[in-house]
Amino acid sequence: MAGEMAAAGGGDNFLRTFTRAIMRQQEWITLGVRVLLAVIMGTAGYAKFSEAEGLQKVAVSSYRILPQGMVSPVAFGLPVLEMALAALILFGFATRAMAICVGLLFVVFIAGIISVWARGLSIDCGCFGGGGLVGKGQTHYLREIFRDLGFLVLAAWLMVFPRGKFALDRLLGL
Amino acid sequence: MSKAARQRSARERLAEERKRQAQKQQRVRRLTISLSGLVIVALAVVITVYFVNKKDPNVYTGAFAPTSRQADGAILASKPGAKAPKLEVFEDFQCPICHEFENASGSTIKRLAAAGKVNVLYYPFWLFKQQSEPIKGNSERAANAALCAPADKWIQYHDAIYKHQPAEGSKGFSNKDLIGWGKDLGFDTPQFEQCVNGNQKQSQVDAMTNFAENTRKVTGTPTVFLNGQSLDLSSTLLNAKNLEKTILAAPPAAVSPSTSPSTAPSTSASPSATAKK
Repeated sequence: MAGEMAAAGGGDNFLRTFTRAIMRQQEWITLGVRVLLAVIMGTAGYAKFSEAEGLQKVAVSSYRILPQGMVSPVAFGLPVLEMALAALILFGFATRAMAICVGLLFVVFIAGIISVWARGLSIDCGCFGGGGLVGKGQTHYLREIFRDLGFLVLAAWLMVFPRGKFALDRLLGL
Repeated sequence: MSKAARQRSARERLAEERKRQAQKQQRVRRLTISLSGLVIVALAVVITVYFVNKKDPNVYTGAFAPTSRQADGAILASKPGAKAPKLEVFEDFQCPICHEFENASGSTIKRLAAAGKVNVLYYPFWLFKQQSEPIKGNSERAANAALCAPADKWIQYHDAIYKHQPAEGSKGFSNKDLIGWGKDLGFDTPQFEQCVNGNQKQSQVDAMTNFAENTRKVTGTPTVFLNGQSLDLSSTLLNAKNLEKTILAAPPAAVSPSTSPSTAPSTSASPSATAKK
């Protein structure tokens, strides 16, 4: 009994110590998360941006969610949105607001993939370029959803802990 | 209250007031920065979309290779005597991705055909035969009209049809419109009108569809064969530069010998004298 209690106490202690250690390094972790998220968003955005226009439109329209008229603006606007968010997050400008935007974006992406999966369509998510229809057995929806969930966790960290090292926010007095 | 106590509480109130001011300033600062971030991002997106929309769709203004109708209804675009690879284009006029393909690479294909660098066979067929209305009907009427249209202005007619492609799910390609576009191009004869209204080419549409799906094993559109090899959609068909490179690198191939008598070659600009190589 005493042994179990000691173990439980030890477990609690470990969690507390661990959390304290994390919090001591929080501003560095935030910097790391900012850089990581910026690289991810920037790569995804640029990969789409540098593709043939027709392919970008096909990638968006194969989700069969948006009305025809919205396909073009979304196909061309999304890469720019991702790169702009990436840049601002990298420099730590309006970090919390940008992180919220990124979070919303990933929620929308995840919802889109789930919607496509539920309707039995076979597409490539086009998250890092490419996209469009694929053969029936060649979809990777679960993988794509979990990957986006991972990115969502990064964005959530920034929402909760927006203050970080080397941030423009800090320079501007936030 | 003693004087000292009054002074102390006054100092405290001042300090509190300053603290409140500082907090208010911080809030305003935070709001301003957040708003600025959102505005920057929104501007970037809006400006990009505006400029991309403004871009003129690349309208082809060059010469067209002479076109002739094959026995099976396909249209051959080929410069006389050209020894060039064979490009076979299987498409459905109602298919949105075919529209994207035409937008992306149509001009390139026409230009290469006119220069004798590729021989193109167009096979518009009825991919959406098993779909429900209105897609099924749209697709059939367009395929029928394309077979009714004479060979010499065929590519321009084909382009006009794509230009007016209805959104997937809405009705379009009415016979009236299909005849109207023929009229715009100058081939609105009574025979053409009867052919369109009376769906006179139905059996040829079916035969071409059968050829595409059962003989050539085409399962989706656009499917494009270069010398018999299917080209990849994302990397090649939607990427005009890549498509051109692939075509120019391919060896010449024989085109099917059966041709119905050629009608006069059509050009939208008079070609300069071709140099003998």
